[in-house]
Amino acid sequence: MDKEKIFQIVVNHTREVLPELVERKIECSDSLRDLGANSIDRAEVVTLTLESLSMNIPRTALFGANNIGELVGLIYEQLPSD
Amino acid sequence: MNNYHLTKPVITGIGITSNLGQGQAAFSDALLAGRSAFGYLRRPGRQQDSSFLGAEIPDFTLPEFFSPRVRRNTSFSDQVALVTLNEAWKDAKLEQIDKCRVGLVIGGSNFKQRELQQIYQKYQDKAAFIRPNYGVSFMDTDLCGLCTEQFGIKGLAYTVGGASASGQLAIIQAIYAIQTGQVDVCIAMGALMDLGYLELQAFKSLGAMGSDRFAHEPDKACRPFDLNRDGFIYGESCGAVVIESVDSVRKRKLKPYATILGWAIEMDGNRNPNPSYEGEVKVIESVLGEAQLSPREIDYINPHGTGSPLGDETEIKALSACGLSSAYINATKSLTGHGLSAAGIVEIVAVLLQMKSSKLHPTKNLKLPIEPSFNWVQEKSIFHEIQRALSLSMGFGGINTALCLENNK
Repeated sequence: MDKEKIFQIVVNHTREVLPELVERKIECSDSLRDLGANSIDRAEVVTLTLESLSMNIPRTALFGANNIGELVGLIYEQLPSD
Repeated sequence: MNNYHLTKPVITGIGITSNLGQGQAAFSDALLAGRSAFGYLRRPGRQQDSSFLGAEIPDFTLPEFFSPRVRRNTSFSDQVALVTLNEAWKDAKLEQIDKCRVGLVIGGSNFKQRELQQIYQKYQDKAAFIRPNYGVSFMDTDLCGLCTEQFGIKGLAYTVGGASASGQLAIIQAIYAIQTGQVDVCIAMGALMDLGYLELQAFKSLGAMGSDRFAHEPDKACRPFDLNRDGFIYGESCGAVVIESVDSVRKRKLKPYATILGWAIEMDGNRNPNPSYEGEVKVIESVLGEAQLSPREIDYINPHGTGSPLGDETEIKALSACGLSSAYINATKSLTGHGLSAAGIVEIVAVLLQMKSSKLHPTKNLKLPIEPSFNWVQEKSIFHEIQRALSLSMGFGGINTALCLENNK
C-alpha cells in the first residue's frame, strides 16, 4: 500500500462524509476543517478510512495532522510492515 | 407584567406525516374517507421469521432544501420529524417570530430502535469501526439538536417521555414553557417511534399488540372498541402542533385553530402496562376542572382507543362514569394504527382537522361496539361542528393525560 492509494481512500471517504464536495478537487494540502468538516465529520473520515484499510489502531496515533497529506503520512507510518 | 398565567394558549400550526400520507391535506382526506394502509410490515428490520401487521408511511420524500449532508446523517425518524416540523413551521408562519422566543418539546423516547438494531448487527464483529456519529445519534436528544440547527430554534429544546402519552405530554410541557414566559411559541412534536422486530415481538409477547385473530386479513386487524379486537396495530406517524400565547397571536393577527382550555397528567403509581380505571377517571375529572367545563359541554371525544381488550374496556367505563357517554366519539387509531410516542399529537391533529372540516371521521372496523349506547361515528364520516373536544392518552408505566380543546373557527 503506497501513500497515493491511502490518499485516494481518504478523498473518497471525505466526499462520502461531505457530499457537497463532489465536484471539488481535493489536494494533499487541504485540511478537512477548511473543507467544511466539523469534529464529527473528521472522526468519520478517519474511521471509514481505517475500516477500509482494516487498521485497528488508537486514534491518538493520528492526532496532530494539519492537512490531508499529513494525515495520510501518519496512517502510512502505522501500516503493518510485511 | 405579562399575563401568561391568566390566558389559555392556542394552537396556530399543524404538521403531520403518517401512513395516510404526507401533510395535512392527505391526512384529513384519508381520515374522512375512512382510508387506511394496513398490511404486512415491509421496512428492513421489521420482520424475522414473522409476519407482523401495521401501516407504514408510503413513498416518503425529504425535500431538496435539506442538504445532502443532512440526508446522509439522519435516521428515518429524524427525516420524518424534519418534514413534519417544516409543515407546522410554515403553517404557523414562524418566520415572523424571534427565534430566541421559539421552543421545541419532542415527545417520546427510543425513536430509532429499528435502525439501531441494524447498526448493532453490522458492527457486532468490528466494533472498532463503529461510525463516530453514533456517539451522538444514538441519543434521542440528537433530534432536538438536528431540528434546532435546521430551523434556528434558540428558545429551548428537550425531549419528554411518557410512553404512548408522550405526544400529549409534549403539548403539556410546551404549554408550561409558554405560561412561565420562557418562550412565546413552543412546538410540540410526537416523534415517530421506529420499531424493529425485537420491539414488535416483545409487544406481541406482552399481549399488547394484535392480531392473531386477523393474521391473514390485515385490513380487519385494527379495530378499537370492537368486540373482536385483540390488541393494538402499529402505525408509523409523526405529528407537530405549534402552541402559542394569546399575546403573541394577537400581535401577529393570526387566527388560531383552537384554544387549549385544559390539560392534566395523573399517575397511577404502576410500572406495568395495565390501565387504571381510577387513574383515567381522575385525569378526566382533572382536565374538566381545569377547563371549567361540565361533561355535557364536551361534544366530541377522541379517546386513546388502541384496540387493547382491557384498555378499551377500561376507557369506556371511565368515560361513562364521568358522564361522557353522549358526546360523539370515534377512534383515530382505527385508521392510523398506534403511533406510540407520536399518537397523542397525531390524535390532536385529527381533532383540529375535524374541527376545520366540520366533519367527524369514521371508526374503521367498528362493527360491534363494546358499548353500543355511546354516540359512535362508525362506518361513514358525519357533519358535525365540534365546539369542545376531549382527547385522552394513556401510557405504559401508569401515565394518564388529557387535553380539552375549544374550536376557534
